[in-house]
Amino acid sequence: MLKKRSWAEPYKIKMVEPVFMTDRKHRLKVIKEVGYNTFLLKSKDVYIDLLTDSGTSAMSDRQWAGMMLGDEAYAGSRNFYNLEETIQKYYGYKHVVPTHQGRGAEHLISQIMIKKGDIIPGNMYFTTTRLHQELAGGTFVDVIIPEAHDPENTYLFKGDIDLGKLERLIEEHGADKIPYIAMATTVNMAGGQPISMANLKALRKLTDKYGIKVIHDMTRVAENAFMIQEHEKGYANKPIAEIVKEICDLTDGATMSAKKDALVNIGGFLALNDSDHFEQARNLVVIYEGLHTYGGLAGRDMEAMAIGIKESLSDDHMRARVGQVQYLGQNLLNAGIPIVKPVGTHGIFIDAKRFLPHIPQDQFPAQTLAAEIYIDSGVRSMERGVVSAGRDKKTGEHRYPKLELVRLTIPRRVYTQAHMDVICESVCEVFDTRQKITGLEMIYEPQYLRFFQARFKKL
Amino acid sequence: MAIKTIIEPFKIKMVEPITMSTEEERNVFLKKAHYNTFLLDSDQVIIDFLTDSGTSAMSAKQWSGLIDGDESYAGSRSWKRMEKTVKELSGMEYVLPTHQGRAAERIIYTHLGGKGKVFISNTHFDTTRANIEFSGATAIDIPIEEGKHPKVYHPFKGNIDIKLLEENIIASGPENIGAVILTITNNSGGGQPVSMQNAREVGKICKRYGVLYLQDMCRIAENAYFVNHREAGYENISYKDIAKEMMSFADGAVMSAKKDALVNMGGFLALRDEELANACKNLLIITEGFTTYGGLSGRDMEAIAIGLDEVFEPDYLRYRIRSTEYLGNKLDALGVPLMLPIGGHAVYIDAREFYSNIPVDQYPGQSLVCDLYTIGGIRTVEIGSVMFGTYDEQGKLIPAPMDLVRLAIPRRVYTQSHIEYVIEVFAEIIKRKNQAKGIKITYEPEFLRHFTAKFEPIN
Repeated sequence: MLKKRSWAEPYKIKMVEPVFMTDRKHRLKVIKEVGYNTFLLKSKDVYIDLLTDSGTSAMSDRQWAGMMLGDEAYAGSRNFYNLEETIQKYYGYKHVVPTHQGRGAEHLISQIMIKKGDIIPGNMYFTTTRLHQELAGGTFVDVIIPEAHDPENTYLFKGDIDLGKLERLIEEHGADKIPYIAMATTVNMAGGQPISMANLKALRKLTDKYGIKVIHDMTRVAENAFMIQEHEKGYANKPIAEIVKEICDLTDGATMSAKKDALVNIGGFLALNDSDHFEQARNLVVIYEGLHTYGGLAGRDMEAMAIGIKESLSDDHMRARVGQVQYLGQNLLNAGIPIVKPVGTHGIFIDAKRFLPHIPQDQFPAQTLAAEIYIDSGVRSMERGVVSAGRDKKTGEHRYPKLELVRLTIPRRVYTQAHMDVICESVCEVFDTRQKITGLEMIYEPQYLRFFQARFKKL
Repeated sequence: MAIKTIIEPFKIKMVEPITMSTEEERNVFLKKAHYNTFLLDSDQVIIDFLTDSGTSAMSAKQWSGLIDGDESYAGSRSWKRMEKTVKELSGMEYVLPTHQGRAAERIIYTHLGGKGKVFISNTHFDTTRANIEFSGATAIDIPIEEGKHPKVYHPFKGNIDIKLLEENIIASGPENIGAVILTITNNSGGGQPVSMQNAREVGKICKRYGVLYLQDMCRIAENAYFVNHREAGYENISYKDIAKEMMSFADGAVMSAKKDALVNMGGFLALRDEELANACKNLLIITEGFTTYGGLSGRDMEAIAIGLDEVFEPDYLRYRIRSTEYLGNKLDALGVPLMLPIGGHAVYIDAREFYSNIPVDQYPGQSLVCDLYTIGGIRTVEIGSVMFGTYDEQGKLIPAPMDLVRLAIPRRVYTQSHIEYVIEVFAEIIKRKNQAKGIKITYEPEFLRHFTAKFEPIN
């Protein structure tokens, strides 16, 4: 029997959305108009949209049917009880507070658990997570293993936590200064890299020793579970649903952006085992989000989430999901394209420094590459490099991050194998003509989050 | 033939079953919900008059808009459509989408508020007040004198007291005023409209003292109907043009789209000033979502754009206001003491007078809410001393100015026979009102206590 099976989709297409085919002349004009910033493109000018995998999934017919069963009562909607039961059953957490999306849950947990001067260790930062921790008076400390920062290192669980570093941190500051460990499955900023079950078990042991809680950023937990099933000893025959439950059982609570794994366009939740924290969350959610039985979500969206959670835990679904990402990654590697290794679960990260070695970092190689890929084929990607990193608050100079990346994020159940082939062909085409590509100069720079609205011109 | 009966300017395209129950069953349900109707499950309710917020029936066009939603993270056509609609209506350049109205409020009041700041309004609504007080600022209500007396007729009981407004600005010092907020219509004051003249005068005073002028425009279309019918000079002006003129006086507006935009989820903040908008955008990104979706799915933005047009259709508004009035007139004829004249979105019962055998510190409003539920399965909300009461230093209740019970009518949801049933229930309530019992609070959270508080009847 073949060990590696095809990742063919375990579904057929029921509803389609037209995409707009454009020619190179049009794309050259459009990208110039938006100042070589893919964020500013209108969706109608984009052929394949790889800007994000968040909220961009195609829902199933069952989820659309669930939308019709939305109970929009302000209080006590049956969709909430269905969602609560689903989360309790599949993720195992006791209490659930719905939020309009993941950052709403991050906001709540930070306000409830973090005091001024606290330290929150985690396996690499994420933009919104760290911001909420800082706003609550805490400081984030990165305790991910050093391999995670090396794009060439092929270790399979680059989301693992450096437990030695964590223990030294606990000894240095004292356990009472650490309200919880922020543990993400998978680690987005490291390239969608998973954490191993062995590491997670050791983390639980260590935190139990000091009485510290583990809060789980579970937005891509099923994708992480798939990687454990594929690569970790003893899990090959365990269903993804069971691995997910095992991960959740090793933690004390979770924030979830349901816009990723749970296959919906909007939604999130905070899940907690601690009854006191839950009580506080219920009282806070009404101020920021909405009453605790809807948390800022339409009833129909809670229903779609409950169905999406179940669908996301199917082995067949996940094999196709991650299989598609790995297929694209492997084809790019075979073509000699420099990408972050190993290939993660939700996207491909192209190393722009190695792709365009003749463009210095102050001429924005990743921004340049994202624009060139768009011009070549209408594929929209995102810069994750010097533009995203912004300026140093003290010196006013650009921050030059080690990783200068272009992210190709794959929405779930949206694109076909033929689309993947087009993406690969386009990146290869740009790679073949890379010597002719020139860098960019920034001509408009907003004060905050400049990557979103900055404008450039060709040098 | 001139039509006398108010027929709905639509027919039904999709229905949702109601679960019927008996009085005995409801006694058990209510006890389990700690005599708080917010804690009831929706399938325990026959007629849900808890709120008109997010409970509208959407049109076939809006449902098709849901399917048509563009979920692109950036440059979504659904966002462009919503932005254009709001800009046209408000005349304001900067539109920030939020998952619902309270998020728009939280953003602007977090930015403007803080210790020592004062906000002045015709009447702050519960979530508005909570947001302001949460920031450490003070909220002052100055409705016109007529607005405080349920029996006194005035065409625009939602007006703010212009003289008191100026006095308060001078007393606090203009530099300490966070904003003047005109709630249109005035929800806590009985859903009473605000006149164009009043809105204009507020603008003049705010300009004179350099104070920011905001409008809560969540029922601006219903208000426009009253201006057209009650204010001289507006008989021949369209509802939409009346709304536009009213907003032209303000510097900014918050909207919960769950009311007059006829949707189940959504809201926005609209502003004229670029600097203020940029500051608010930073807060938006942290807790809501990026500036092009703000925590809403593309499909919900699509539905808002369509709803904001539909709500100004003259046939719809006439049906909406007249059917609310129909219920009010029938209850008035039965001798139920009401807030008069009947407002736009709800009928408000003066529970302090209706249940005059129950002392104010035993919450006559909450008592009536409980009876309406057990006797008729009708879910309503208390807007009185439970919602707005505070305690003095001895822990004695400082009651709200009025103890009202609100029968909020969801838009396009209930038929005339539902309304006839409600009237029958009131006839029964009148028969039994001498047996009504007082209520005590057994648990209350710090903010917005009415949502999660627990009660017990006093025997």
